[in-house]
Amino acid sequence: MGTVGTQASKEAIKFPKKRKLGKKKGSKAKKLRRKNEQAGPKVRINRKLKQLYKKRAVEYNSDDEASEGEARGVTSDQLDGEGASSGDERPDDLHVEEEKGSSDEEEDEIEEGTRFAEGCRAFRMAFTKIMKTKISSDVLGPVLSAHKKLIAEKLAEEETERKVKGEAKKEKLLVREKGHVKPNSYLDTKDKFLISVATKGVVKLFNAVSKAQNAQKGLASSRSKDAKALGKQRKETFMSELRKPLGQVANDFSSKNFMKGTTSSNTQNDEEPGWAPLRDSYMLTDSKLKDWDKMPDQPVAVPVDGLPLESSSDED
Amino acid sequence: MARFRHKRQKSFVKPTMKKSTVDHVTGDKIPKSFVFSRGKVPNSLRQLQMDLRKLMLPYTALKLKEKKRNNMKDFLNVAGPMGVTHFLILSKRDTAPYLKVARTPQGPTLTFKIHEYSLAVDVARSQARPRCPPEIFKNSPLIVLSGFGTGEQHLRLTTVMFQNIFPAIDINTVNLSSCQRIVLLNYDKETKQIDFRHYSIKLQPVGVSRRLRKFVQSHQVPDLRSLQDVSDFVTKAGYGSESEADDDAATVSLTNDLGRVNRASTKSVIKLQEIGPRMTLQLMKVEEGLCSGGIIFTECGNEGKAPKQEVKEEE
Repeated sequence: MGTVGTQASKEAIKFPKKRKLGKKKGSKAKKLRRKNEQAGPKVRINRKLKQLYKKRAVEYNSDDEASEGEARGVTSDQLDGEGASSGDERPDDLHVEEEKGSSDEEEDEIEEGTRFAEGCRAFRMAFTKIMKTKISSDVLGPVLSAHKKLIAEKLAEEETERKVKGEAKKEKLLVREKGHVKPNSYLDTKDKFLISVATKGVVKLFNAVSKAQNAQKGLASSRSKDAKALGKQRKETFMSELRKPLGQVANDFSSKNFMKGTTSSNTQNDEEPGWAPLRDSYMLTDSKLKDWDKMPDQPVAVPVDGLPLESSSDED
Repeated sequence: MARFRHKRQKSFVKPTMKKSTVDHVTGDKIPKSFVFSRGKVPNSLRQLQMDLRKLMLPYTALKLKEKKRNNMKDFLNVAGPMGVTHFLILSKRDTAPYLKVARTPQGPTLTFKIHEYSLAVDVARSQARPRCPPEIFKNSPLIVLSGFGTGEQHLRLTTVMFQNIFPAIDINTVNLSSCQRIVLLNYDKETKQIDFRHYSIKLQPVGVSRRLRKFVQSHQVPDLRSLQDVSDFVTKAGYGSESEADDDAATVSLTNDLGRVNRASTKSVIKLQEIGPRMTLQLMKVEEGLCSGGIIFTECGNEGKAPKQEVKEEE
């Protein structure tokens, strides 16, 4: 029990000692040595020390720094006393001297400690004050008040500038892309209608072409008689084909007399087909195209919902 | 560098287009066009210009280079020897982009406001299977003008203008296989806007199962693993979906064979697929000359700044 108890007490000693180690270097080395040397009477000392260290530990652990500083002074005094007592047992004087030196150091330390404690308090107060201040949650964060306004102004300015710039850019892009729309992936009614219109136009043309080309299949254009018949047939069949569904094609898009108010007589035009591309003179002479803005000879009756289909494509 | 540029300019002025300016079948003059832009133009409009050039193929300058310092006179000077008859001029104003369609060298000029436009890329992106083979641009498109028959003068002028932009076809000699594209202009009376669309024409035989059609078209060995017998390939209809309810409105009978699939004896369905670009135009102004001269018509009400008596009588 004895050995175990001592060891346990040793441990107990060690703990607080270790805590103190950093603060009292002078006594540390000495005590370690002493521990090693003393084997017999350690029980008594240990008990004392135990109490002492316990007290010290309590003081140390307590938050009050002032009391701790005092305690530190006390403990160091006691330690000195204790050290002196323990020093009796030691044979050599060197240790005593050493001890004395260390105690002097301790005294210095006490003074420093009080000074430090004062500084500590001031620091603590300042620190707690700072920590207690409620920081306004603006962009700036904690900034010294002298510059606060300036910086805030600058930041606000930058912000507005950026905003203005961004808006200008957006506007520019809008202007640039004006009218540009992405088509839908589905066919809406309008597009369907347009496709149907276009399809109608193509069908009409294809049918007209097939009719015309069917009709001329039997005739050989090499013979003059046939050629004449062919010419007549072509025009007639094609025109009739075009006119059939519409009643009348809005035919006179001819380059003839567009804007003249008088409805002139149309003698020469009776022979010619109404549709300009079918005329023999179509686009051969520029003179007609020049007076495109003259009035058409006949007032054209156009069905309201008719599709004046005109189809033209190249040769082959 | 400078010398190099000089050389290029020289070669550019030379009329290299020695193709016939007259159709060898019908004897008509083939209209040709320039598509260019004036002023600073955003990227999307530049793209639209390229699309319009493709649309105007083959009788247009696909790689026409223009510079800032080029003015209208430069284009006119080149247009003369090249036989260019039409200008399509894109420009950008703050309110909207504008398209001018002009006849050279004397005019008239039609000014359209582009309310909305979509590029060919946008149109292709919106489709599940965009179809745009390069061969269809080897021939000029058909043009269909619809709804223009209201009798107003400026509308008639528009129709004339657009009819003459593309070469005329001779109904008796035309080869239908050359008709692969169509340009549609549809006038809406209420909004006074013109819808401009560009479609490709596809012909499909009627009453043939999709499987057979694909087989004939693609010339590839079909996958017969799932079938019990070879005859199943012909007799089984497969999934007879895809709007097989072909309305008769779209069917035509051909006189000549058109490709391998569309024989003269069978009926065919016409299918259109949009290739873009699409535009919504509004006629704003008609000028007598080439981007100049008296104003014949304006949309803004103050009609006839250089008033013609005839015009007033007409209205």
